[in-house]
Amino acid sequence: MPSVRPISPTEHRDYLATLPSASFLQTPGWGKVKSEWRSESLGWFDDEGKQVGVALVLYRQLPRLKRFLAYLPEGPVIDWADDDLAAWLDPMVAHLRKQGAFAVRIGPPVVTRRWTTAQVKEGIADADVRLLSQIPPAERNPIGARTVAQLHELGWRHQGVEGGFAAGQPQFVFQVPLRHADGTQRTEDEVLKGMNQLWRRNIKKAAKEGVEVATGSREDLKAFHELYVHTAERDHFTPRPLRYFETMYDALRADGEERFTLWMGRHEGDLVASTIAIRVGEHAWYSYGASSTEKREVRGSNAVQWAMIRDAIAAGAAVYDLRGITETLDADDPHVGLIQFKVGTGGEAVEHAGEWDLPVNRALYKAFQVYLARRG
Amino acid sequence: MSLSLTVDGPRWRAHLESVADAHPGIVPVAKGNGYGFTLGRLARKAQWLAERGHDVRTLAVGTYDELPEVAQRWHGDLLVLTPWRPWVPLPEPALSRRLVHTVSRVGDLRDLLHADPSARIVLERMTSMRRHGMAARELWEAGELLRKHPGARIEGLALHLPLGQGTHLGEVTRLMNDFVAAEVPAHGAPDVWVSHLTDAELATLRSQYGDFGFRPRIGTGLWLGDRGALRVTATVLDVHPVERGDAFGYRGRTAPKSGHVLVVSGGTAHGIGLEAPTGDQSMKARAATIARGGMDAVGFVRSPYSIDGKQRLFAEPPHMQASMLFVPHGARVPEVGEDVDVRVRYTATTFDRITVTT
Repeated sequence: MPSVRPISPTEHRDYLATLPSASFLQTPGWGKVKSEWRSESLGWFDDEGKQVGVALVLYRQLPRLKRFLAYLPEGPVIDWADDDLAAWLDPMVAHLRKQGAFAVRIGPPVVTRRWTTAQVKEGIADADVRLLSQIPPAERNPIGARTVAQLHELGWRHQGVEGGFAAGQPQFVFQVPLRHADGTQRTEDEVLKGMNQLWRRNIKKAAKEGVEVATGSREDLKAFHELYVHTAERDHFTPRPLRYFETMYDALRADGEERFTLWMGRHEGDLVASTIAIRVGEHAWYSYGASSTEKREVRGSNAVQWAMIRDAIAAGAAVYDLRGITETLDADDPHVGLIQFKVGTGGEAVEHAGEWDLPVNRALYKAFQVYLARRG
Repeated sequence: MSLSLTVDGPRWRAHLESVADAHPGIVPVAKGNGYGFTLGRLARKAQWLAERGHDVRTLAVGTYDELPEVAQRWHGDLLVLTPWRPWVPLPEPALSRRLVHTVSRVGDLRDLLHADPSARIVLERMTSMRRHGMAARELWEAGELLRKHPGARIEGLALHLPLGQGTHLGEVTRLMNDFVAAEVPAHGAPDVWVSHLTDAELATLRSQYGDFGFRPRIGTGLWLGDRGALRVTATVLDVHPVERGDAFGYRGRTAPKSGHVLVVSGGTAHGIGLEAPTGDQSMKARAATIARGGMDAVGFVRSPYSIDGKQRLFAEPPHMQASMLFVPHGARVPEVGEDVDVRVRYTATTFDRITVTT
């Protein structure tokens, strides 16, 4: 049974470097981004003392109590294919309990189901289909199923979400595979051909209109942020402060320069679209995006996306991840536009096992649930 | 002279067809006493449904011993609901090809594959009922074994769910997840063989698991779903006037007041007066059961026979093929040869005669 102990950020970083990839939410840098949470790096070690797993734990304090929710977003990074997950999770929970955790929340990074672009499109077109779950998936993943079965068995509780986004990490994401089934890299041309006509036309149009895409520096974050605040007003979401992105820039790039890239799309000097890309090993994410309301016709957003995808291909990434989608395929749902935009890339909808809670102190856990429910 | 079941044929058949229509992939269940109709008749009826173009491909029986009763009358596949055990002999090859075994233990799966490498198998997953079936990890083990036996013909997953008690969807979802986890080598889309799901639950599952087939096993709801099409009658065999204090019967009981003692067909051999547990656990139902059980201790108890719509008392416990009823003074006394209605539990009753009107 592997043992668990706290490790240094350097040990954490070095272990991740031995893996093809891991969620950026499990990197040591992410702990610095979430500065309002206490964070800790944990390592799993086998009997010979060899490191076999790692986790970034975020501790969130209960109001007025010295008790914490221990949160491992999209983690821990362990061997989820193991039939004996208790051997991995039990020592972790024992450690977190000693640290004052009243509950543990994890997000096993395992895939449970996948749907192709064609399936998602048919689902949106079909009035009877409201949710992705109503379409038979192209794949049901046995490792994901075993993880789910074992978590049930071990008393973990799935934090279900219906319809909209959950408070935590999204269970459904949209990804463009950048490799063929045999492991070889897809070419730019192949990825482009997988996109729908609208995307291809928009990418072409942006080039014709003279949209220029380049990476930005830390100083350019300010320009990104202005555009992002503008986007937030238009699309009705609450923007994060500039400082958040500066911290993210510093913290993630301290782990590796590829971890954070700012992309700027300009048309005749005007910033029309700007995004943040993140990459850990073979996994590239589109993280934040902003776009101008004016000059939409030059298709800056498509141009920046295409630049990020090309960059991911060039870096040899296996996946271009457009992050969360809601499960809805209801053509009347306001969220469906987001899915339609992402579906245009020709990727696939991917379901993960979702987030799971283990109450350590049942009374406090219950009080916490009530508190969350009241907060809405 | 007999305890008779009279079936309103057109109405009953219309009901059977409507159930079959509403449940594509239906697996009619013919087990035990054949729900009162006999196994043979149900097998023929299932065949009739199939010939009428309904999606009926498999008939389920309860035990291997019931197979000979149905195998000649029904020509499709046969599913045995009781899990196979190593001491169960395998039938001759002609029947083997039609037979689908339920397997509920990994050891049995190994033995059965050894005895018949091409056996058709449904894997049973333990449900909250905790009767037969494999736990999640046993199912995974079965999957591992089956990946080494690519010749085995796995027809899917069997779930025996408890009755009622809220929705089954959460449980079914979890149990099916275990089947996905088991990575059972597929020969086409696997079927999930289920019972006791509401039509709404089935519709939800069919929508969420479009990559699985669903085979609802239905017995009671199919054969006995339209009680109005069924009538059970007994014949009045004899009528004797009695005065208060007159002795009668095997046990020399005395009449509590004046009236008539009736001898009617139907006794313990038919299942009359034998209490089958109803499953109703209310205090009232339990008190009633105790009262009926103690019938020979004090007074008369209610019988399942009714005359002119009124349920009559047993004058003494039922005999093997006839029962004695007490009809108090003032009520109409039926004549010898007249039919009276009987309320029975079909799954516990054997009829002397079954008439299906055309």
